[in-house]
Amino acid sequence: MEKRVTLAAGALALTVIGLMPVLMIVASTFYVAGEFSLTTYQALLASSKQLAPLMGRSVLLSLSVTLLAMMVGTPLGVLLGKTDLPLRGAFTMLVTLPLLLPPYVIAVAWFAVLGSTGWIGRFLAPTTSEFLSSAFFGFYGCIGALSTAFMPVVMLLTIAYLGTVNPRLEQAGLLMSRWPSVLWGITLPLIARAILFAAVLVFLLTLGEVGVPTFLRYPVYPVEILTQFAAFYDFSAATAAAIPMLIITAVILVLEIRLLHTSALELSAATIGRRNAPIELGRWRFPLFGLALVWTLVMVALPIAELIVQSASLSAFADAFSRASDSILRSVVFAAIGATLLTLLGFFCGYLIHNRTLPLWRSIDALALFLFTLPGTVIGIGLISLWNRPITNAIYATPAIIILGYLAQYAVLPTRMTAATLQRIPPSLEQAAQLCGASWFMTLRHIVAPLAKRGLIGAWIIAYIFCLRDLGITLVVYPPGFDTLPVRILTLMANGAPSLIAALCVILIAVTLLPFFVGALWQTRAGRPP
Amino acid sequence: MKKNLWVVLLVLAGVAAAAWWRFHVPSETQSVVVYVSHDEVFSEPILRDFEKETGIRVRAVYDTEETKSTGAMNRLMAEKNNPQADVYWANEPIRAEVLRQQHIAAPYLSLNADGIPARFRDPQGYWTGFAARARVLIVHKDENPKPTSVFSYADPRWRGRTVIANPLFGTTTDQIAALFVLLGDDRARAFMQGLHENGVKLSPSNGDSADLVARGQFAFSLVDSDDVVNRMKQHEPVTMIYPDQGADEIGSLIVPNAAVLIAGSPHQDAGKKLIDYLLSKETERKLAFSDAAQIPLHPDVATPPGLQPIESIKIMTVDYAAIATKLQAIQSFLKSWAES
Repeated sequence: MEKRVTLAAGALALTVIGLMPVLMIVASTFYVAGEFSLTTYQALLASSKQLAPLMGRSVLLSLSVTLLAMMVGTPLGVLLGKTDLPLRGAFTMLVTLPLLLPPYVIAVAWFAVLGSTGWIGRFLAPTTSEFLSSAFFGFYGCIGALSTAFMPVVMLLTIAYLGTVNPRLEQAGLLMSRWPSVLWGITLPLIARAILFAAVLVFLLTLGEVGVPTFLRYPVYPVEILTQFAAFYDFSAATAAAIPMLIITAVILVLEIRLLHTSALELSAATIGRRNAPIELGRWRFPLFGLALVWTLVMVALPIAELIVQSASLSAFADAFSRASDSILRSVVFAAIGATLLTLLGFFCGYLIHNRTLPLWRSIDALALFLFTLPGTVIGIGLISLWNRPITNAIYATPAIIILGYLAQYAVLPTRMTAATLQRIPPSLEQAAQLCGASWFMTLRHIVAPLAKRGLIGAWIIAYIFCLRDLGITLVVYPPGFDTLPVRILTLMANGAPSLIAALCVILIAVTLLPFFVGALWQTRAGRPP
Repeated sequence: MKKNLWVVLLVLAGVAAAAWWRFHVPSETQSVVVYVSHDEVFSEPILRDFEKETGIRVRAVYDTEETKSTGAMNRLMAEKNNPQADVYWANEPIRAEVLRQQHIAAPYLSLNADGIPARFRDPQGYWTGFAARARVLIVHKDENPKPTSVFSYADPRWRGRTVIANPLFGTTTDQIAALFVLLGDDRARAFMQGLHENGVKLSPSNGDSADLVARGQFAFSLVDSDDVVNRMKQHEPVTMIYPDQGADEIGSLIVPNAAVLIAGSPHQDAGKKLIDYLLSKETERKLAFSDAAQIPLHPDVATPPGLQPIESIKIMTVDYAAIATKLQAIQSFLKSWAES
C-alpha cells in the first residue's frame, strides 16, 4: 500500500508540476477577454501563409542537424565505445563538453573563431572573411553550432546502448565473419531503436531552440513565437502560435513509441554475460585516432580555447566576478537544490516505470520525455500562467518558481537513469527482504538505495549540469534579483565587452564541470574506474 | 557512524540553503524591484550606485536583445493583476506610453524632472523621459554627396545601397510610427512602398545596420546616435548626420529613456526614490559619458563628445502617445511590409 501511495504521489507531483502549466497555456488560448473564443486560432490560420515557411525552415534545420549528428555521432560512438582507440575516455569527455553548455555559448565561441577578429577570420582576406561571416550568420552557422551542441546525445546513447548488446550474438557473428560485418549486420541493427530515439531527441531539441537561431539571425518558427510576444504584446496569439510546436512534439513522440512498439527505456536491458573485448583497429588505429583528434580539436577545443584566450586577463575575470559573483553562487545553489529534488522525484518515477506498479507508468514515462523536449520558454510561460497569483506569491516571487521549472523540464533524466540503474538490481533481493518482513521503505533504504547509489549520484550530477545550463525557463520566470549565470551572460551580451563575456563563459564551464570532476575523483579514490 | 555523518551533512546543507534563501529574500521595506530594458552593462552600475547611496536593495530583471528587448515589457503585462515590479526603466518612451494606455503605469511627478523639457514627459507623470538617443543617419565616409534626410531612402541615387533595421522592433518601429503620425497613413504607406521600390535591405537590428555601413556594404542607414558614436570611437569610417534639420524639414526623432512607476506595486515609496535617482542630473551625466553615449535632457548637464546638445538639434515635433497608439495600429502593416 505504502509503495503504491508513494509512487502515485511521485506521479502526481510530476503531473502537477509539469503538465498543469502546459494545460494552462493551452486553455488560455480559448479565452479572449474572459470569454470562450476561437479568434486566436482564426488569426493563426489567417497567418498560416507566413508561418508555414518558418515552420518549414525549422523542420529543415532540425532535419539537417539530426542528420549531421547521426552521421558523426553514431560512428564516433562506436569508435569510442567499442574499439581500442587510444584515449577513448578523454575523447568522450571532451566531445561531450558542448552538451553541457547552453547552445548559444557554442555559437558565441564559434563567432569568436570565425569573426573578423577571430583566430581564423583575422588571417583571411577581407572578402573571404566577409563570406565566411555571412555564411556563419544563417542556416549553416545554426547547423554547425547546434550539431556541435547536440551530437553528443547520439554519441553517448550509442556508447551506452552498445554496452547492452548481448555479447554472445556478436561472438556468434564473429565465428562467421569479421568485426565490420558483425557491427553492420548484428550490433547496429540491435541498437537501431536507440539511435532512432537519439535522433528524435536531437530533432526535437533543435526544433525548440531559440537562442542560436536568434543570435545567428536565422528566422525559424520558435523565433516567430517570440516575435509575437515581442512585437504585438499578444499573449493569446503567441501561445496559440506555440500550439503547432506542441502538436509536432507530441506526434513525433507518439510515432516514436508506436514505431518502436516500446518505450526507449526498454532498450536498456541489463548486460548479459561478459562484454566482448574492444575491437582491435590494427593499422586503422592511428588514422582513426587522428580523425577523432581533428574533430575534437576543430569542433570543441578550438572554440573553447578561443573563449579562454579572449578571457585571459585578470581584469576580465575581476570584472566578471564583480558583476556576476551573486549569479554564480545562485546558479550553484539552485542547481544543487534542483538536482537533489530531481533525483528524489526521478527515483520514484523511475521506480514506477521499472516496476510498472501502477497502470499509468507508460504515461508518466511519455510525459517526462514530452516535457523535456518542449521549448523551455513554453514551459516558462505556462508556469507564469499557473503560479502568477497573489495567493501563490510564495512560489512565483521566489526562486521556487525556477526549481519548479527544473523539475518540470528535466525529470526525464533522473527518471530514466534510475530506471536503468534499477534494472541492474536483481528483483529477488527486494522480494527476499519483503519475505523477511521488511517494509517497502526499509527495503528501499537498506537494499535498493545502497545498490543504486552509483546510479543515483550519476543522476544527481547530470541533473545538476542540466539545471545549471538552463536558460529557456530561467530567463522567462526568474524573480527580480535572482538571475543565474547563463541569464547574466545573455543580458550582458548586449554591448558587454567580449573579454567579459568570454570570462563569464569560462566560469560557467568550470562551475558546470565541477561536480563532474568531484564525482570522477570520488570514484577514482573509491577504486572504481571513472 | 559513516551513515550518520551523511545524514548530519545533509541536514546541515538543508539548514544552510534555507538560511541563504531566507536572507537573500530582502525585507519588503528595504528593497525595490525594477525591470530594465536599457542594456545591463550600462544600467547596472547606475542601480548599484543607487543602492550605495540609499541603502535600498535593488532587485532587477534585465532585458536582452535575444528577446528583442521586450521581455520585461511582456512580464509587466503578464503580471498586471499581481505586479512584482515597482519601476520600469524603459529604453524608449513608446513602451512606457503603452503601459499607461493599458493601466499598468501609475502617475508620479518627480521634482528631479524639473528642467527636462515638457515634450519628453507625460504631463500627468505616467512616465518621465531622461538621457536620450537621437535617430540619425550613419553614413560611410566615402559617400559624396551625403544624404541629409530620412526621405533619402527613396532617392534613386541610393537605389539598392541602403539598409534599415527590421521595423517590427525597437526604435525603428518608433521611427516609422512617428512618420505615420506626421505624414498621415497614405503618405507614410507611399513612403514605405518607395523604400521597397528603391531596393532598401532589411537588417535584424540597428547595430547590424551600423556594422554593414561601417564595412562599406551600404551607403547609409537610419540608426540610433549611440550606434554611430561607438563606431566612431572604434575609428570606423563613418559619420553621423542628424536628418531633416532644414527649416521646413521634419527634424530628428529623439528617443529618451523613460522611468515608469508601476500601479499597485509592493514598494511604492522605494520606487519613487529610484525614479528620483534615475531622473537626476548625476545619472544623466553618467549615462552621457559612459559607452551608452546618451544625450542629456537637463539643460545644464554637459553633452559628451561626438554628440550635439539637445538644444541644438531640430527635434521632430510629435506626440509620443500618438506614436504609441499608431504603433499598435500599424503592426500588421509593418509585418506584411517586412515579409514582402
